[in-house]
Amino acid sequence: MKFKTIVTSAFLVAAFASNAHAEYPEKKIEIIVGYSAGGGTDVMARTVAPFLERYLGNGATVVVKNMPGASGQIGVTEVANAEPDGYTLGTFNLPGMMARTLDRKADYSADSFTYLANVVDDPNVIVTAKDSKLDTMDKLMAAAKEDPGAITVGMSSLGGDDHFFLMRLQSNSGAEFTIAPFKGSAPARTAVMGGHVAMGIFNLSEVLGFREELNILGVATEERSNLADDIPTFSEQGINVVNGSMRGFVAPLDLPEDVRSALLDAFQKAYDDPEFSKAMLASGNPVKLTLGDDFKALNQEQYNFAKSVWETTPWK
Amino acid sequence: MYANLIDALPNVLGWANVLSVVVGVVAGICVGALPGLSATMAISVLIPFTFGLDPLVALGMMAGIYNGAMYGGAIPAVLLRIPGTPAAVATSFDGYPMAQSGRGGFALQVAVVSSAIGGIASAIVLMLLAPPLSKVTLLFGPAEIFWVAVFGLSSIVFLLGGDPIKGLISAAFGVTVSVVGSDTITGYERLTFGYLELLDGINIVVLLVGLYALPPAIDLLENPDFDTAKDKFNLGTGSIWKALPSMFGFWKTWLRSSVIGVLIGILPGAGGSMAAFLSYNEARRASKTPETWGKGEPEGVAAAETANNADTASAMIPALTLGVPGTSVAAVMLGGLLIHGLQPGPMLFRDNPDLVFGFMWQFLFGAILLIFLGGSFATNSFAQVLRLPRPMLGAIIIALVFIGVYSINGRMFDVYLMLGFGLIGYFMDKLKFPLPPVVLGLILGSFAEENLRLALRIGRNDWSTLWQNSTSQIIIAITAAVIVGPMIMRVIRSKKPDNSFEK
Repeated sequence: MKFKTIVTSAFLVAAFASNAHAEYPEKKIEIIVGYSAGGGTDVMARTVAPFLERYLGNGATVVVKNMPGASGQIGVTEVANAEPDGYTLGTFNLPGMMARTLDRKADYSADSFTYLANVVDDPNVIVTAKDSKLDTMDKLMAAAKEDPGAITVGMSSLGGDDHFFLMRLQSNSGAEFTIAPFKGSAPARTAVMGGHVAMGIFNLSEVLGFREELNILGVATEERSNLADDIPTFSEQGINVVNGSMRGFVAPLDLPEDVRSALLDAFQKAYDDPEFSKAMLASGNPVKLTLGDDFKALNQEQYNFAKSVWETTPWK
Repeated sequence: MYANLIDALPNVLGWANVLSVVVGVVAGICVGALPGLSATMAISVLIPFTFGLDPLVALGMMAGIYNGAMYGGAIPAVLLRIPGTPAAVATSFDGYPMAQSGRGGFALQVAVVSSAIGGIASAIVLMLLAPPLSKVTLLFGPAEIFWVAVFGLSSIVFLLGGDPIKGLISAAFGVTVSVVGSDTITGYERLTFGYLELLDGINIVVLLVGLYALPPAIDLLENPDFDTAKDKFNLGTGSIWKALPSMFGFWKTWLRSSVIGVLIGILPGAGGSMAAFLSYNEARRASKTPETWGKGEPEGVAAAETANNADTASAMIPALTLGVPGTSVAAVMLGGLLIHGLQPGPMLFRDNPDLVFGFMWQFLFGAILLIFLGGSFATNSFAQVLRLPRPMLGAIIIALVFIGVYSINGRMFDVYLMLGFGLIGYFMDKLKFPLPPVVLGLILGSFAEENLRLALRIGRNDWSTLWQNSTSQIIIAITAAVIVGPMIMRVIRSKKPDNSFEK
């Protein structure tokens, strides 16, 4: 029922606004990033911006505006409350943005946005130090099952993709681990390398530069990643877990249809540009495009999983 | 590796790259000298603009700013008792008394020479020892870092001032402020009162500016006709080269403080303020005349300023090799690298040797340039500021800190927060509560707590994990020696006459 109203109103607004936006974009487009300049999400937005300008045409100008705070929540709330005219877009991180609606009081929800494009999918990996005896998944899982909780897991904060990956791993395998949440991935990675924790959960791009220091035991994708096709997937090793960190772009709800299609079109063309993947990869962002409604469905799937984790094993 | 170092040199000497370091150092000195503006802020403002620049130009500017700001912070610390950056708090201990007794010019000269020496030492360590020292960083897990924090906290004892109770209340206030925000380990929000803006904790600049810059600024407005003695303004800075020979006696302090600064730099998360505090304390402990410290001892300025520059380049060691920044400035610099597609890690050294080693050279040049650019000309220019009418100076400072604090996250919330701290600072000043323990409490309070809890979680709540490995044991031994050592000495000294009396 509610969905229907939203759809109808979206159509109404779209029909009404289509004339006004005959030549979108006619002024500068602002992308709100909920993190400081120089962070992973910020660099992604700044890498995407010139490609958007190129493929939107019309002499489009895309600028990045940083509104850091509360792990991205301040920025994304600003996007949810912005005018849906196509001149305010925002970066969107999964599963973080959805998880925050569960573990905190949030002034936005999954229904606050027009989903444009998810462009980055950085799969989770399990790593151990190069000199660790736990250098295969079999050995690791055996050790975890032998003494539940004996294996300590370094990762970045709770309620993020690393954490959800571990929850999926635990429910899939029945093994139990002890979580050690660090302030960010880099300190956690250093703790793994220094042998202070037994294993670490990261994203593929975070460990590719450290292959001589770390064993990468598996990657949480359906098929092997083309960034490192020598790393087996977890499903190849009998553990059916696919998970990762995703970064994309959203606009406020009820974006006019012509603006939406212009943006989706530009994202598609950017993705097809070989220069784009190259630039994104250089900044540590493995690309995988999920457009429009598929992105919305992806978000819903992420939300449902986060909710099921939150209901059974709340992380705070 | 050393061949790479030489290979990178010609590129660094290109005019654009040299100019970028010069501009960076000058900008850094200015930013550091203006209360409320810090190196972290300047670099994060700069990062978006560097997107289109040649990487070495961008990196050179950042290296210059970092070095410049670490010295620049000393200028208002000496002249106005307002530390320009968090790391300059310890500089004000002796710098300001020196200025009051008409030796402000000399204090600034000591500061600039010491800063340059610390910076040069740090850059050389970065150039020659980065990969081996990154192994040292790996030795420090949560348990070891906890003990380092305890060591740092133990130096609060020396900062308590005349009234230990008031000093401890100050320290407790700092620790309380440090726990504000979302707790990393449980995810719970602590003392945030439902404000999203507090979830990431309170930025040290907000607190520092509130406590240190607002009360003196208010004082400038309160007493507009206060006739400051003419000789206080007469800084009397002659050529820095003439003043240099009188500083050679500080060589031990320079050496000790450089080592402390470099070591604190390679430890993740500690940073410049802690380096300056620790090195100030160690220098005082080693001094033959500890009673003159805090009353205008030039060696105190030398100790603080050497250390806060000695951790600049060394903080880049874990940042470049492991991706873990040693200081908050190094953290934003990592962002500056990332924006140019330079991802930290061992691959960085292999794939982009020209850039990485060029960046190291730029750190060295930045440190050397300090003497020329931060010497008599810069200090004399800033000293002129003191000739302004007092109300005008106060108003300028207040305007600057508003801009500076607003620009951290671009929101008024931080400005209101700063005003709140300003009010607290004003009354602390009137009631003679010491301020340094607040700063140390803020830096180290939650830092110690977080690492303790993380260590216990990793050790499955077995407290013995805290002292099981040798790195922890060494740090515990040093801390114990520093705290208990003087007590034992006192007992022994007081016992001796007792024994002879009994005979």
